[in-house]
Amino acid sequence: MAERPEDLNLPNAVITRIIKEALPDGVNISKEARSAISRAASVFVLYATSCANNFAMKGKRKTLNAGDVLSAMEEMEFQRFISPLKEALDAYRREQKGKKEASEQKKKDKDKRTDSEEQDKSREDDNDEDDERMEEEEQNEEEEVDN
Amino acid sequence: MAAAATAAVTIGPTAALVAEEGPSGEAAPAAAPPPQAPAASAGPRLSRLPLARVKALVKADPDVTLAGQEAIFILARAAELFVETIARDAYFCAQQGKRKTLQRKDLDNAIEAVDEFAFLEEIK
Repeated sequence: MAERPEDLNLPNAVITRIIKEALPDGVNISKEARSAISRAASVFVLYATSCANNFAMKGKRKTLNAGDVLSAMEEMEFQRFISPLKEALDAYRREQKGKKEASEQKKKDKDKRTDSEEQDKSREDDNDEDDERMEEEEQNEEEEVDN
Repeated sequence: MAAAATAAVTIGPTAALVAEEGPSGEAAPAAAPPPQAPAASAGPRLSRLPLARVKALVKADPDVTLAGQEAIFILARAAELFVETIARDAYFCAQQGKRKTLQRKDLDNAIEAVDEFAFLEEIK
């Protein structure tokens, strides 16, 4: 689907909004400038990815993690991003944790119900959980292992 | 007071609509703002850029095997910060020229002037 990596653009509307909110009211931006910024953002992601990947490889890991990206920022001399990124990461982790706990809670409730009905059927639920876990594998690879 | 901050965020989309009607349609006629319900009261806004697109960019790198969700998220947020930064730097150039519209050349100037943007030389 993608011809070249640089053509994978981020959505114009979102880019425009980010730009507008960064600038004082009343400031406009020409179409060319906006699309140049959009392009620059894509190149930024590609470059940061490549940098981060080097750190992952140094650590003999096959999966890029957040730490690699932060190291990349340092390497690219965008240290000023590191602090806000860490904050965002904390918030993101809390949110993910909340979601996870909510779905685990649901599973517990479900198990309780099925336990009280038919004790055997709860095995099937565990199989469903495995399917869900495969999707999250990328994320959970280095995190907890289900015991 | 925190209320001011949250108010600013919640009326964000409306403000954007008003701003776009005012000046002559130079700003792209961005259709209705994306129907994302910003978690205004959830502290730092998590990310506006769609993670799927960022992920596509990451996967475009042949050397990358896998990328964790957190990595994708941080890259998205970093890209946002980057856009804000370069927009402001370019605006600084526009101001020197006493203009209120950011133009392509402002961006080129910013890229040249700022060391960290050296990797962008190729797109000038």
